[in-house]
Amino acid sequence: MALSRRSTWGGALVLLLIAPFVLPTPWLLVLQNALVLGLFAVATNLLVGWSGLVSFGQAAFYGLGAYTVALAWLHGLAPFWLAFCAAPLIAALVAGLTGAIALRARKLYFALLTLAFSELFYVLAEQLYDITNGANGIFGAMVPDILIVPRNGFYFTLAIVAAALFVLHRIFHSPFGLALRAIRERRVRAEALGLDVARHELAAFALSGAFCGLAGALYVVHDQTAYPELLDWVKSGEPVIVAVIGGISTFAGPLVGALFYQIAHDALVTLTRDWQLVLGALLLLVVLFRPAGLASLLERKER
Amino acid sequence: MNFASTAIEILSALTAAANLFIIAAGLSLVFGALRIINLAHGSFYMIGALVMASLLGPGQASHLFWPALILSPLLMAALGAVLERLLFRRIYQAEHLIQLLLSYALSLMLADLALRIWGADSRTVPPPSWLAGALSVGGATFPLYDLFVIALAAGVGLGLWALLRRTRFGWEIRAAVEDPESLALCGRNVPALFTAVFALGAFLAGLGGAAAAPLQAIGPGMDSAILVSAFIVTVIGGLGSIAGAALGAAVIGLFQAVGTLWLPTWAPAFIFLAMIVVLVIRPSGLLGAAAQGWGGEG
Repeated sequence: MALSRRSTWGGALVLLLIAPFVLPTPWLLVLQNALVLGLFAVATNLLVGWSGLVSFGQAAFYGLGAYTVALAWLHGLAPFWLAFCAAPLIAALVAGLTGAIALRARKLYFALLTLAFSELFYVLAEQLYDITNGANGIFGAMVPDILIVPRNGFYFTLAIVAAALFVLHRIFHSPFGLALRAIRERRVRAEALGLDVARHELAAFALSGAFCGLAGALYVVHDQTAYPELLDWVKSGEPVIVAVIGGISTFAGPLVGALFYQIAHDALVTLTRDWQLVLGALLLLVVLFRPAGLASLLERKER
Repeated sequence: MNFASTAIEILSALTAAANLFIIAAGLSLVFGALRIINLAHGSFYMIGALVMASLLGPGQASHLFWPALILSPLLMAALGAVLERLLFRRIYQAEHLIQLLLSYALSLMLADLALRIWGADSRTVPPPSWLAGALSVGGATFPLYDLFVIALAAGVGLGLWALLRRTRFGWEIRAAVEDPESLALCGRNVPALFTAVFALGAFLAGLGGAAAAPLQAIGPGMDSAILVSAFIVTVIGGLGSIAGAALGAAVIGLFQAVGTLWLPTWAPAFIFLAMIVVLVIRPSGLLGAAAQGWGGEG
């Protein structure tokens, strides 16, 4: 696979490292946002693409990550750095619990069960007004001053996303990652070969939740706010759509899709009132002419 | 809480459930026959309501209500047929996530076009004059239009049952669900049949939108708001089953009514809890068979 070649990754990293010196601040923030969405999409694709478990509820863990940082600040429970480190762990824990229930259903019913959990968390965040400020969300100086500087915030995000993607890439090629793909391809056979399918799927769900939670915590670094819509089904659909755009069968596909989607979205919003029309048309073109995802386009070119 | 206000709450929840059934039946029909999850289904619903408002005109002429209630869903059926011919037909064999992306792209474009044509302001449509009143029973007043929507949903349910069980068209749809190739070998025009099913699904979404027009404000955002509810109803009942959609709508209506009465702030959570409980006990919905081919084999 061309995209996983070390030189491609290295080139992309160098481009991202010089970005703060080249891009104007608004576009740097767009790129930072795209990186967070990229991590969210790869983490979601751990379920969708690797394991064949289509989840429409990953925003529950993304939002949980964001709320962990925001609530720790609002109630003075923990300093930022501690809350930031706790976010993926709490997300993993909750993902493990919800996964144990959601994985009882299969395929489309699983997808909609995860969606129900996502919406349930959304309602909780909106209705527990005394704890979460309800629909108003939480605003304020919850991020240390050093990260408020756009360039620092960008480098911090880049470092965390790069480290997380490195770990995810290792998992993708590990025996565990291979086992997930074996389960996706032939569930019954994987079981017959002695794989504990249920335990693998639960581990995948918790792991995906952890990285979604990390992406959510990074979102707070970008926007310094947490609000209920971070947990709803529209937010849950985003990483899935983005992963399909980029291609779910490769490791880097969702990342490519996220960069394409976020940058196209933010550019179109500033350019035209009809951004939804143009974005929809772009997505239609992807569906009709590149059903394997945009990442397949890059592979073709490099050959 | 007294009897009168309790009864009114329950009727209003039942009305919403009846309206939801009309829309969910279309979603379920399309999924059952074509195996497509259509995220643009909510767009047909929204545009159906907007067309309804436009057909009545600025004067909101009451005598035009009935023709508009029929014409608006028919226009949605036509729109559905065109989109099926141009787009959906190409992806019946594709991955389910690709189908999802296509219908998502379409819902974005339709939302934009609707915003362009009808603007961002929300509109209201009054019920026709002879349904504008209310029925008084034991101190409670029931809006007549609510009762009409419930009757309409019952009519749609019976009509769909008769169509699927008692006509050649219904027989062919059921045959196409089982085995499209054999049906084609018998000399039936399967692609045309699929177009008709898709158009019927869009018709039902449009009818739901047109009928809901006097119940609520009409405007942007209606499409995605209804989509989740319609999916929940369909899934609780079991995908692909019209009777399941009716049952799902009843369950949701009940939970909604109970939730609104006892814990109003938590009413939205009740729906999702209902869905989680149903799917944990019956992982394929109340009346559904296991979903085939969604997210990998086996």
